[in-house]
Amino acid sequence: MKGSVIKYEKDNIDTDVILPGPYLKIHDYKELAKHAMEGLDKDFHSKVKEGDFILAGRNFGCGSSREHAPIALSYSGIKAVLALSFARIFYRNAVDGAFLLPIEIDENAYKDISQGNTLEIDTTKNEIKNLTKNRTYPMKPFPELIGKIVAAGGLFNYKP
Amino acid sequence: MSQTLFEKIWSSHIVLEQDNGPSLLYVDRHLIHEVTSPQAFDGLRMNKRMVRRTDLTFATMDHNVPTTDRSLPIVDQISSKQIQVLEKNCKDFGIELFDIHSPNQGIVHVIGPELGMTLPGATIVCGDSHTSTHGAFGALAFGIGTSDVEHVLATQCIWMEKPTTFEIKVEGKRKNPHAVTAKDIILSIIRQIGTAGGTGTVIEYRGETISDLTMEQRMTICNMSIEAGARAGLIAPDEKTFEFLRGKKYVPKNYDELVSYWRENLKSDIGVHFDKSFTLHADKISPQVSWGTNPAMTTDVTGTVPFPEEYSKGNPDEEKAAHKALQYMNLKPGMQITDISLDRIFIGSCTNSRLEDLIEASKIIKGKKISSKVHAMVVPGSQLVKKQAEQLGLDKIFKDAGFEWRESGCSMCLGMNPDILASGERCASTSNRNFEGRQGAGGRTHLVSPIMAAAAALAGHFVDVRELDLN
Repeated sequence: MKGSVIKYEKDNIDTDVILPGPYLKIHDYKELAKHAMEGLDKDFHSKVKEGDFILAGRNFGCGSSREHAPIALSYSGIKAVLALSFARIFYRNAVDGAFLLPIEIDENAYKDISQGNTLEIDTTKNEIKNLTKNRTYPMKPFPELIGKIVAAGGLFNYKP
Repeated sequence: MSQTLFEKIWSSHIVLEQDNGPSLLYVDRHLIHEVTSPQAFDGLRMNKRMVRRTDLTFATMDHNVPTTDRSLPIVDQISSKQIQVLEKNCKDFGIELFDIHSPNQGIVHVIGPELGMTLPGATIVCGDSHTSTHGAFGALAFGIGTSDVEHVLATQCIWMEKPTTFEIKVEGKRKNPHAVTAKDIILSIIRQIGTAGGTGTVIEYRGETISDLTMEQRMTICNMSIEAGARAGLIAPDEKTFEFLRGKKYVPKNYDELVSYWRENLKSDIGVHFDKSFTLHADKISPQVSWGTNPAMTTDVTGTVPFPEEYSKGNPDEEKAAHKALQYMNLKPGMQITDISLDRIFIGSCTNSRLEDLIEASKIIKGKKISSKVHAMVVPGSQLVKKQAEQLGLDKIFKDAGFEWRESGCSMCLGMNPDILASGERCASTSNRNFEGRQGAGGRTHLVSPIMAAAAALAGHFVDVRELDLN
């Protein structure tokens, strides 16, 4: 998985800024995507490209249980969110619907990876390569079941 | 082996257990609403699945419903559509729905307990993060997303990694419990443990102060467990719990038998080990007001807006976040909290919209007028709360003072319906989240108790409610 980074150097990026409340009425996922990150970054929709990654700080996705948050990011083209930690409902929603990969990284990767860097993520090796800076960082391996659900393409495709 | 209350509920709901993996848990109650369920029903239809236990599934509409005159059609076409979709889904799949005209309509976390759908020892899920509210009854209750809603509708089960246990003891007698409320207790806890302090845990609130709280107050505490990042928060049921639920519409017929079982079994064993522990001394806390853009950014009403470098205690990320929060909130460090002027007052939400909240707020409103600078509204949590409040004449007290008295729903807590802040407006809100834009793009939220919101409505700014005559 290869893509470039949109970096938000911020902890506690909540689901209300990822997908603001007024848009929860929208049923169509492509429409939702137009409002992704609107509460934090009005330019997100115009700059995001298919295959991009978001990089952020601690407790990403805290707040509401709205699955609309990972959905809006996913339909914007985001394939993974790399963060120091995740709020658990966001993490779960991202995995269950196979919308994007929530990847936990360490402080060093968080500080070292810059806006616009190109990354290659290898979840089999639990490795993130920064092709721009020619460096490699570890990612926290998915717990066994999460890995299986991710591999199956979501909760409903997963057979225990 | 001794067990915590959480572990007892957990183990009694395991359908399938694996070594080193999550367990499949049975779900006793599934509450649904219009916002997080439509795609789940789409999924059921697509895969030709039924709802497995319609008798354990209840629906209401709360998030986007207008709080104005309900005899009128809904102006917002997209909201109207979402409401119609829920009606159709409930009809097609045979789920009981408390619709916009039902005497039992209300915020899902208000009607669950008031109708007796919430029971001690039960597992309760809902596509809403504030499902933790039901933990006040000794239920294991947590919020889920739409994929899980679909999974529970289809299977009545949910996969879950076993959370760890977190004991939060609240000790000490508050000198003035009318002024230093349950909201101030939970805000104080989050202020100290942080917005991720409870991540991966189920919190059990314990101690003398918790035992002294009413059920409504316990719900306020458990409601905001999610703001500390916890999966759930719960309180062991006691006689207050059993009395609260007795005679409610949906409690099982063998209620007394259940109470005997609950009384015996639903408590943590003496001396049991919790993975984590924290103690709050409630006798030492003051009324709380949030100043920033997450619930941990809170301080005493007698305090000042903090300097970011002081608030962050040397953590550069926190310092940056505090700077940004102050900028968004348009506040200057060092300013007295009581000097913050308000434009709007919102008394409502699943945190603080129950009858007791409204009674407490009305006490200081009675016979007075709100400040000419503020626009204030009360949104009762349910139609039943509204009716009971009207029987007590609270509607008249609020309206005479200049408040709007609305129909029940989530309203201005999350800004999905027309009840929103205009950009730049500042609101004293009894809700649970002060995130940027939560109550409307550019809106500024200060989280407070109902009594603080009421006092702020009269004064036009925050006041130390301990100085008011509340008895």
